[in-house]
Amino acid sequence: MYKVGENNIILTIKSLSKYFGALKAVDEVSFEVKRGEILGLIGPNGAGKTTIANVVTGTYPKTSGTVIFEDMDISNLKPYQIARKGLTRTFQVVKPLIGMTVGENVLVGSLYGRDKRNTDMKNASKRAREIIKLVGLESKKDSLVSDITLPDLKKMEFARVLAMEPEVLFLDEVMAGLNSTEVEEASILVKRVRREKELTIIYIEHIMKAVMGISDRIVVLHHGRKIVEGTPQEVVNNSAVIEAYLGKRYAKEVNNEG
Amino acid sequence: MFNNKKVNIFLLIIGIIIFIFLPRFVSGYWVRVITTIFMYAVISQGINLMSGYMGYLPFGNAMFFGVGAYVTAIGMSKGLSFLAVLPLAALTAILFSILFGLPVLRLRGHYFAIATIGMSGALLAVVQNATEITGGAMGTTLPIIDKSPEVTYNYFYLAMLALMVITTLTIYLVIKSKFGFGIRSIKANEEAANSMGINTTYHKVTAWAISALFTSIAGALYAYWMSFIGPDEVFDIMIAVNTIVIMLIGGAGSILGPIIGAFVISLLSEVVWSTFLEYHLAVLGITIIIIVFFVPKGITGTIADFIKKRELRLRKKVSV
Repeated sequence: MYKVGENNIILTIKSLSKYFGALKAVDEVSFEVKRGEILGLIGPNGAGKTTIANVVTGTYPKTSGTVIFEDMDISNLKPYQIARKGLTRTFQVVKPLIGMTVGENVLVGSLYGRDKRNTDMKNASKRAREIIKLVGLESKKDSLVSDITLPDLKKMEFARVLAMEPEVLFLDEVMAGLNSTEVEEASILVKRVRREKELTIIYIEHIMKAVMGISDRIVVLHHGRKIVEGTPQEVVNNSAVIEAYLGKRYAKEVNNEG
Repeated sequence: MFNNKKVNIFLLIIGIIIFIFLPRFVSGYWVRVITTIFMYAVISQGINLMSGYMGYLPFGNAMFFGVGAYVTAIGMSKGLSFLAVLPLAALTAILFSILFGLPVLRLRGHYFAIATIGMSGALLAVVQNATEITGGAMGTTLPIIDKSPEVTYNYFYLAMLALMVITTLTIYLVIKSKFGFGIRSIKANEEAANSMGINTTYHKVTAWAISALFTSIAGALYAYWMSFIGPDEVFDIMIAVNTIVIMLIGGAGSILGPIIGAFVISLLSEVVWSTFLEYHLAVLGITIIIIVFFVPKGITGTIADFIKKRELRLRKKVSV
């Protein structure tokens, strides 16, 4: 099995900021991601989780700070350049390629995506077929993306990023809109794929329960700032986290009881 | 249209052979009408690549037609042969598409369409006023081929047919390639395409260059065929409007759509024109509105839907 390397840092985010006018969506956030781990990125709505994904993957330009991916500053690159280097993401609101089939969507990921690999039509098609099988979408392969359900769309988008063969993958609320059985299935799939593909995953979620079982470590954001970083156990018992999620009064009560 | 690839290729070859020998059986008038249909199909393919497949409507695409026509006229007036001037015409159009494309292909949707109209207008103004080179608003003449009109018209008929076949085959191969998936992704969702590693700017500019290439060759052939061209005629915005209608009626984003559309629209306008001499434009306009209303996906899209529905019905019957 693939081992999470001690001190083997693949992605470093250094005092990263993103301001929208006066709003500090991300404010001087720093953390590191180890090769092969699942890092949970959590926080209440509006904490800046998706903005971090948008800035790191190049969708938004940063205000300040640096992002080092495998010893390379990627904070000034365009999204397609970052994707080619091996860092990619899914979208909170799914962005299927409308007008194409499920198979074609995954094929596009396989044809483009990470560079320095064989992306001719034959190889790319073979890779796309394997990944469609891996996520269990074989029966939907020839359906138009406009004809499939939301859980299947999420699986399709997951297959599409896997076909890009990234090293680091941002999963942005992949569980949103799924019922509890589907969340269970998706968690198992993510864990299995992480192991098989030796992926590093940054897992964005605002539902605490979904993220606890899956993450090796967790970074908690609140109002654009990092408030806590640690193992799921450390995070869940931290008073600042409880305060951020449940309010000051409840946090005091919890502390008094403890 | 059919699922069998060999049958398709066979039918296409039969079709091409019929068209090669058609001029022997029809009048000179119809030879000229069908040559125009081929030409419209080529221009419409160029728009289909940009709009039907990539989602960028190039309303000013007639400018490449005009550039092709004028470079040919100017080159030939300087004593160059047609075949020598043809690559120059194509290269000039490609150069314009890159120069214009780099800034305006950043615009999306209607803004891109409007910007291309502006560029087409600007080029028209330059051609009208650079009288010493272009002959100005009065237009310019090209050498006339020293053969009988019948031979000359047959020659242009075959050249335009060849151009249509080459254009269609090239765009078909482009669409089936990795690049084709890239531009279809841009139409579907440009942000997603970019995040998947697709260099959207490169894809958009290259697609426009391919579009400009074929449109300018059509313009070059047209200029040589007519042996007289004027700026208002070859930079006419109606060239783009007509070929956009042709694409929509035939089926946007379908490889045979522009060809089918060109035949349907041109033959329709022939019939309308001969029946309603005074009101033919009004009647044609209303007919087009009716077609778009009832066949929104174009002819090829509607046929594809029909075949799909029939297959589903057959499958249901089998499962029952």
